[in-house]
Amino acid sequence: MRAPLIFLILIILAVLALVGYNSGWFGTPSSAPTHTTAGDILPGGPLPDGATAEPDEPVGDGGAEQLPDEAQAEAPVDPVKTPDVPSAGSFGHFAAGDLLPKSGSGYLDRTAWSPQLCFPFADDAFANSQVYGAGGGMGPKDKPSQCDASNYSLPWRDNFCESRGHASPLCATGKGHQGQDIRPATCKKDKHWVVAAEDGIITDMGTYTVTLTGSAPPHRVYRYLHMRMNQLAVKEGAVVKAGDNLGKASNDFGGTPTTIHMHFEIRSGVAGTSTDGKAVKLHTFLPPYQSLVAAYDRKRAGQACQ
Amino acid sequence: MRNPKIRALIVAGATLAAVTASAQVAPTPAPSTRPGATRPPPPGGVDWAGAVGGLRQSGGGNSPIGRGLDQAAVNKTRVPILLPADPDLMGGARIYSFGDYYSITANLSGARVSLTGTAQTTPLPAGSKLNLPNVGPEQLVVQRTVDGQLASFVRYGVLYTAELRCDAPSDPRCRTETYVRSLVVRSTVVVMGKAARQAAGLGA
Repeated sequence: MRAPLIFLILIILAVLALVGYNSGWFGTPSSAPTHTTAGDILPGGPLPDGATAEPDEPVGDGGAEQLPDEAQAEAPVDPVKTPDVPSAGSFGHFAAGDLLPKSGSGYLDRTAWSPQLCFPFADDAFANSQVYGAGGGMGPKDKPSQCDASNYSLPWRDNFCESRGHASPLCATGKGHQGQDIRPATCKKDKHWVVAAEDGIITDMGTYTVTLTGSAPPHRVYRYLHMRMNQLAVKEGAVVKAGDNLGKASNDFGGTPTTIHMHFEIRSGVAGTSTDGKAVKLHTFLPPYQSLVAAYDRKRAGQACQ
Repeated sequence: MRNPKIRALIVAGATLAAVTASAQVAPTPAPSTRPGATRPPPPGGVDWAGAVGGLRQSGGGNSPIGRGLDQAAVNKTRVPILLPADPDLMGGARIYSFGDYYSITANLSGARVSLTGTAQTTPLPAGSKLNLPNVGPEQLVVQRTVDGQLASFVRYGVLYTAELRCDAPSDPRCRTETYVRSLVVRSTVVVMGKAARQAAGLGA
């Protein structure tokens, strides 16, 4: 008679504990940054040294890098949360795949697709969402400024696979953000250098894009968007070393200003399996976040890129 | 809580609850890197017989398409170079060769085209599936990018891309797949420099 009673009590306690966990009674580990160190700038805190907020300019695309009629092909859903993996000595950042709530489902694999990536900014920088963050088209209404301190603070946040209408086959819906948005150290355009992610050649320059192809196999293709294009340090055909200056972070977007940020893509040829089980090779977008975190750790530790 | 049995029950229950709650947070694999995970082209990875057939069909190397490309870069490229039969487009094209990979950039009015080829691919983790609703013949996949359209396909064992990038986001050529698909259809000219000819058994 006692055994079923004990079992019932255990079940009730377990249910209570689960309800408590999901309600945040014990904290919210999956929405907490991986690691924060002393001196980190926290959301809502002051701007970093030297940061000067510019008067907001009109942002034609809300940071979406997309025409209004192409935006939001998929209804955003909450991402599947993954637990954080604290890494000693790292800086404040959310785990890969942990996107802002209601901004889409992140890509959860933790592969660093460019393991020796040179952090693509000469200064500090902040990886987060241009669209769903402060001042973005889908951002919080009470934070209309792209220069809001929350955009220029740790922790970092992944936004690969964030809800967009562009193709991104590794994302759950097959569509989503194809790279990582990174804001420079301050909300000041044309000031902070963007640098080469690895040794390579500048193989293409558009009106708001610069393409770097890595010299070493697998010849990753890095795309940098929204630099000040009339002040670039490189031309098409330039041979660059990792860490070389390319240009300055800005908001160029083919005549339509976007927020001050750098959209950073990694592409490569991959071999995999489609969701319907077919073996396929294609050239596509790879998640940059894990590589950026590791690169920023190396930068903070004083390791040179070359 | 004077009754030790009840206290024990609560402790046991709390322990079970904690275990159950922590089970919600499944262990995650540590961040992984794949240095050297790139798959080198296996011997015979390039279908050289097919490529030589393509070369013959497109004039046996005498096609005017691609003559303007830097011949030193062409000669060091160890994969068959595939070009669209479009003399206007290819007239001012520039090639950047890494030996086992090439990238060609060509200008259009208000846009640019990039063409690449490689026999190397990186394997995806087994758990990562590609959400590709429409894979065409030759594994043709067209992806809408921020500034255009990216097509990739496999021919002669080589992964090729044809990409269109527009200066203006609203350029209709970049908003639909029509142009980039036509570029793939027109990609029929095979060019082989010294390194590729040697690899194909044609001699230099």
